[in-house]
Amino acid sequence: METAPAFSPKAVRGAIAALGVGVLLLAIGWYVGLFVAPPEHYMGEVQRIMYVHVPTAWNAMLVLSFAFLCALAFLWKNDWKWDARLEAAVEMGVLLSFLLCVQGAIWAKPTWGVWWDWDPRLTTTAVMLVAFVGILALRHLVDDPRKRAVWSSVATVISYASVPIVYFSVRWWNSLHQVQSTPQTVDSAMVTPLRIAALGMLFVWIAFVTLRSQLARRRLAQELAPPPFTTATVAAGGEG
Amino acid sequence: MTGIVTGGWEFVWAAYGITAAVLVAYGLRLAVGLRKGKEHDER
Repeated sequence: METAPAFSPKAVRGAIAALGVGVLLLAIGWYVGLFVAPPEHYMGEVQRIMYVHVPTAWNAMLVLSFAFLCALAFLWKNDWKWDARLEAAVEMGVLLSFLLCVQGAIWAKPTWGVWWDWDPRLTTTAVMLVAFVGILALRHLVDDPRKRAVWSSVATVISYASVPIVYFSVRWWNSLHQVQSTPQTVDSAMVTPLRIAALGMLFVWIAFVTLRSQLARRRLAQELAPPPFTTATVAAGGEG
Repeated sequence: MTGIVTGGWEFVWAAYGITAAVLVAYGLRLAVGLRKGKEHDER
């Protein structure tokens, strides 16, 4: 018989504490980025989008990497807690990748003059988003928990190939998008709020993935529970 | 044409506002799901 992982109130309490830390760090990072850090020479105030866009990009890649590890762990260990974590991580990865595309479009308009361009970085990011949306759709459509878990784990391992392609796309191809910045190429007044916001977003997604995986655990417990014992009581002559 | 972007705060607010709104909405969705599950367990 399949054993579903138990719902953990302790994990929920830990996630709420992590969420509080994350929101605080995000608020500090964003405040410093918006009101204290200097504007960039060429992009002016619009460059302040960096303090939300870059942390979203880093964390989207991190959470999708976590989803990849969850998929491998489920296929290796056959433990349902990894399926619950996979579901949560893919959902969070889709959410952050979607936000990444929206923020990028908002930044592109005043700097590139267009909302969207089919350049290598943007195109590979769109492909990555569609691939992981497909995994969520697959999980939604398949009712059998075992088939759903195995198929979505395999699909996650395959789709994860898009993540390093997105990262290296700006180096491999001639992209309109700039290459990755480093602390050596960014002013220290800009690096500090960037790191604080990135750390804040890390805590936020860890909290959300923990809470979402608890919801998945609860659903799995219902799906994997044995059917209720039914007795057909035939009361011979019991009527009337 | 100087190649320097001027103004553009509306784009900055839009990027931060949409991000915050989506994260808050997702957090609320999780909170509602957890609350419903708790009520279901208590019944």
